[in-house]
Amino acid sequence: MSPKADDALDNLLMEKAKIVELSDSEEGGPPFPGSHLKRDVHPLPPWLTSPALNLFPEEYATASSDAFKKVRNECLPHLLGEDNQNLPLNKYGLPHLRREQHINFLHSTLGNLPAPYVALDAARPWLFYWGFSGLTVLGEDVMQYRQRLIETVRPMQNLQGGYGGGHGQFSHCAASYACVLSLAMVNGLEEVNRNTMWHWLGKIKQPNGGFRMAENAEMDIRGAYCAFIMITVLNLPLELPPSSPARHAGLKTFDDGLGEYIRSLQTYEGGIGATPGDEAHGAYAFLAMGCLSMIDAPNKIIPKYIDTSALLRWMACQQTQPEGGYAGRTNKLVDSCYSQWIGGTWALLQAAFGAGEQESSENVWNKQALVRYLLTCAQQPGKKGGMRDKPSAKPDGYHTTYALAGLSAAMNHYHYDTEAPTRSESGRLTSGFNWSGKSPTPEKMEKLGVEESDLVGYVHPVYVMPFKVVENFSTKFEKGGFGKE
Amino acid sequence: MSDPDTESYSTSPAWSDVTPLPTNPGGPNPLAAIAYAPAYEEAMSYLRALMAANEHSTRALELTEDVIEQNPAHYTVWLYRASVLFGIDADLRAELEWVSDVARAHQKNYQIWNHRMMIVEKLGSPEGEREFVEEMFALDGKNYHVWSYRQWLVRRFGLWGERERGFVEGMVERDVRNNSAWNYRWFLVNGRESEGVPGVKDEGVKREEVEYAASAVAKAPQNPSPWNYLRGVVRASGGGLGELKGLASEYADLTRPGGVRSSHALDLLADILADEDKNKAGEALDALASTYDPIRKNYWEYRKGLLGLPAASVA
Repeated sequence: MSPKADDALDNLLMEKAKIVELSDSEEGGPPFPGSHLKRDVHPLPPWLTSPALNLFPEEYATASSDAFKKVRNECLPHLLGEDNQNLPLNKYGLPHLRREQHINFLHSTLGNLPAPYVALDAARPWLFYWGFSGLTVLGEDVMQYRQRLIETVRPMQNLQGGYGGGHGQFSHCAASYACVLSLAMVNGLEEVNRNTMWHWLGKIKQPNGGFRMAENAEMDIRGAYCAFIMITVLNLPLELPPSSPARHAGLKTFDDGLGEYIRSLQTYEGGIGATPGDEAHGAYAFLAMGCLSMIDAPNKIIPKYIDTSALLRWMACQQTQPEGGYAGRTNKLVDSCYSQWIGGTWALLQAAFGAGEQESSENVWNKQALVRYLLTCAQQPGKKGGMRDKPSAKPDGYHTTYALAGLSAAMNHYHYDTEAPTRSESGRLTSGFNWSGKSPTPEKMEKLGVEESDLVGYVHPVYVMPFKVVENFSTKFEKGGFGKE
Repeated sequence: MSDPDTESYSTSPAWSDVTPLPTNPGGPNPLAAIAYAPAYEEAMSYLRALMAANEHSTRALELTEDVIEQNPAHYTVWLYRASVLFGIDADLRAELEWVSDVARAHQKNYQIWNHRMMIVEKLGSPEGEREFVEEMFALDGKNYHVWSYRQWLVRRFGLWGERERGFVEGMVERDVRNNSAWNYRWFLVNGRESEGVPGVKDEGVKREEVEYAASAVAKAPQNPSPWNYLRGVVRASGGGLGELKGLASEYADLTRPGGVRSSHALDLLADILADEDKNKAGEALDALASTYDPIRKNYWEYRKGLLGLPAASVA
């Protein structure tokens, strides 16, 4: 966009802001005709009014600032309510959550896919997980898929343990994670061979405390998070199998060396990278914090390995002005998926502050801005439904699910019970099971600008799925060991 | 196959000894079933057969190339290809050239970089790698995997010299807001502490880094990258943020109109004042909440709360 066009836009925004000020001060006067009426009733939040939109005009343009401008210009008309894309509005002037359309969209991602989807041939388990997780947040029952899922993932499980992305593919952390959680959501965990899974996880545990994604594949924090999901969901022994190469380095358990590994991921910016030295990135912040939260109570283990106030500062700074969603890294663009990766990390970080401060820090981030971004910019208009990265992007299962999870993080409140036990009798790590959720009060709903029909369900802050499912598997396999499997 | 339109595995004499293993689709009605193109379906069925026999051969290499061209995100094929390459002692230089072509065509691909790492490790030489990485940065200067790969190259081959410093300064020069480049500079400066090479704990190194970041701030004061870098430098050096008071005040002068040229400077100043004068720190935080960064109002008020100050009354 040319500087001239930008000026024109800025002028336009100032005009809008004037209308707000005027109409606010003239309450009770004759109603403004036309579309301004809406703004009359629903004043824009401070970060979307003229002073905030015109702060620090950057004169020194670079590729990054050009990209910010482009995104700002595509989002502002939606954020300001000038272009509602023909979506029906709620009583606060924001588009309603398009529940039915998103449900239909997510169902369609589980149906038959045309040939170009071959690019996802090694990632199909993700589609099951995204579909199920997204549908359940919207209140849909996914048990209708139980038999089909069980049969679909059966050939993906390898004899040597773990799941690949498809029949005949090597076992992989992401595929195993997505298959196990999808099975959990349809109460099908008996399908998993826990014994071979344990052995396979032993092969990817590394002498430095981290995990590879597959044998000989890359090592980063994704592997550790996925592994601990499987260890805790399936109640696998915490001891490394005798064949694990990490045993040669003196490690004895899956969590040995892991805290130190995670510590080495926090960067000078306060955020967390994928591997030591990498740039701070939202997805890895969630994975590192989620992983620690499965090993022990967040208030005990997180402050031990993470500088929480530095992380808090970094997370707060990733919320983009004026869009209100999150970017994944400093000076990157807003993208709805970080609504989960950073939005979802808040509950974990707040729990790390301990019993008292967990509540007092509840409102440290701008939930209202995130909700506005997701409802106005991330929802795909038209028949199709689904949610997208940003207005210029197409919707997909990944963004739909994580945008919905982000909505849940903004709307609901999650609480960690610091008094609850963190080990079961069988030695299972249970800290991930000590969470509860709370729906928003009417006051909070008004503040967020949402009605009852816009609310989404709870998303478990560690397992990113319904609480009910977590409750079910938390007592499954309670004997531990492998019995006569 | 080089030309899948005219030849198929099932009719080729070179493959007549292989019994393809068809896909087990997973029941009569599998979820998210992809309507595979016949060429892909066939190639995969031969691949499964070769992998089951763990065959290491030239034809296995060709087959993996065929599949990767159709689906470069297929991690299994990449891992198998690596084992074949090493098993038959293939020309690894030629492999690198081919991988470069795939990388150019599929910039976001994860698997390529782990594969490349294995090849270069085996070759034992980083020759040409930095040039290729720079070519990739010309397409996307913030590609996460490429930056990670560059760090690996430097660590593995000890490439800590002037060339790297010049490279990253060029990247920052090109886009002072490229935070990945800033992160890389941090790595170059501080990445050898475990080997006894001091980073910013060395007074001279620290001074140089502060000066470098300050000159970047001058170009674009509202750019968070150099501000985050400055905080990092001072903290890692063992110093206090107060060392940056002069710089922060220069860009965040609340006493005169237009004196705040950067919300990041004001944020830093608030942190510095917290140790000196809590009420003044509170004023800086109030200014951020009300005027200079209202989207983070809750955060600034939380920071006030940490200082034991009450939140500002709602305007």
